[in-house]
Amino acid sequence: MHRFANPARFLKIARVATPITALLGLALLAAGLGLGLFSSPPDYLQGESVRIMYVHVPTAWFGMGGYLFVALASAAFLVWRHPLADVAARAAAPVGATFTAVCLMTGALWGRPTWGTYWVWDARLTSMLVLLFLYLGYIALANAYDDRERGGRAAAILALVGVVNLPIIKFSVEWWNTLHQPASIRMSGSSIHPEMLQPLLLAALGFQLIFAATVLMRMRTALAGQVIAARAARLAGAHG
Amino acid sequence: MKPKQQRLALVGVALAVIAGASTLAVSALGETATYFYSPSDVLAKGVAPGEAIRLGGLVEPGSVAREGATILFRVTDNAQQTAVRYTGIIPDLFREGQGVIAEGKFGADGTFVADSVLAKHDENYMPPEVAGALHKTKTAAEAGE
Amino acid sequence: MMQTPFIVASYAIAITGVLGLFAVSYVQMRRAERQAAALRKERRGQ
Repeated sequence: MHRFANPARFLKIARVATPITALLGLALLAAGLGLGLFSSPPDYLQGESVRIMYVHVPTAWFGMGGYLFVALASAAFLVWRHPLADVAARAAAPVGATFTAVCLMTGALWGRPTWGTYWVWDARLTSMLVLLFLYLGYIALANAYDDRERGGRAAAILALVGVVNLPIIKFSVEWWNTLHQPASIRMSGSSIHPEMLQPLLLAALGFQLIFAATVLMRMRTALAGQVIAARAARLAGAHG
Repeated sequence: MKPKQQRLALVGVALAVIAGASTLAVSALGETATYFYSPSDVLAKGVAPGEAIRLGGLVEPGSVAREGATILFRVTDNAQQTAVRYTGIIPDLFREGQGVIAEGKFGADGTFVADSVLAKHDENYMPPEVAGALHKTKTAAEAGE
Repeated sequence: MMQTPFIVASYAIAITGVLGLFAVSYVQMRRAERQAAALRKERRGQ
């Protein structure tokens, strides 16, 4: 654990991992969305709007997966007090929030032609909106204190409490009657035709790598920012 | 215990408490969080005429009739059926045998009068040819029975 | 109902949102790392 928590060692790995994840992610995303838009078949009921699935479903997965990452990094920060865990959680939160917002908006755009409405307050849609608010609350709280450490700790506690929302999102469609349909991809198999599943999985892998690359870049920005801030503080001390 | 282990234990206990509390909250929420009731739920609950609810289920095959802009159909959960009357724009995905959610109230005659109708989509995604083939085999199997 | 506008809008939102943040993060990283490297060099030069 602590082996990877060393910022210098992290930067060494991140400098290699960033271009690989970024370029591979862009290529897979282009392939998945290209197939999804142009060569995958329409759905027998939804027609062409099934293509919205290729952006909606991956952003939903990694909107939720991103929150799990923020929560795990927050737990590591609370227990081990290691600053790099705080940097990781803070870097991932806006990325996860963006994915969640994209998921909500594309879902609305799918709902209008399919269900006949942009939005309903059913358990799935509402709990996904709560996820976006949890992200926004985390970001606000992390930056609310002059003391970075205190803000990080308060936000980390919020992130941990919010984890209960993840199983609620996942199982909302089974626990309650919802307008949103149940999961198509389960342990027992998939109810999505292979010609539609293939672009979906390609796009999902692309989105995941883009997510990772964005988090890596934001972490590198934060670490470089610490060097710049330390220098500014030294200069202020020397002149003052 | 070292402080690190203390904090680890504290986080673990806090998470267990939060998990327990939210399990209670979710089970207490129960059917308040439900978006619609099935015809069987409606029968069990005893919904009064004039009470606004959402009724959901499948459009019973062969039950759809149109009277001008008004559409009449039955919603079924394969156990109970409820007759629905609706005047207005119906979603494109409204089909016999597919899911539907009607929002409205029961009239005095026991017919559910809907103010809005939403189509529900299920978890199956497939191209039209595949769906056609599936439909054909299903009908063939039914004919063979 | 015409579905094309909904599909176009979905892809536009997804690509602008996700790749927009990706691009902004890249620019910010380049700027911050260049500035930090310049500071380190300056310190060594002193």
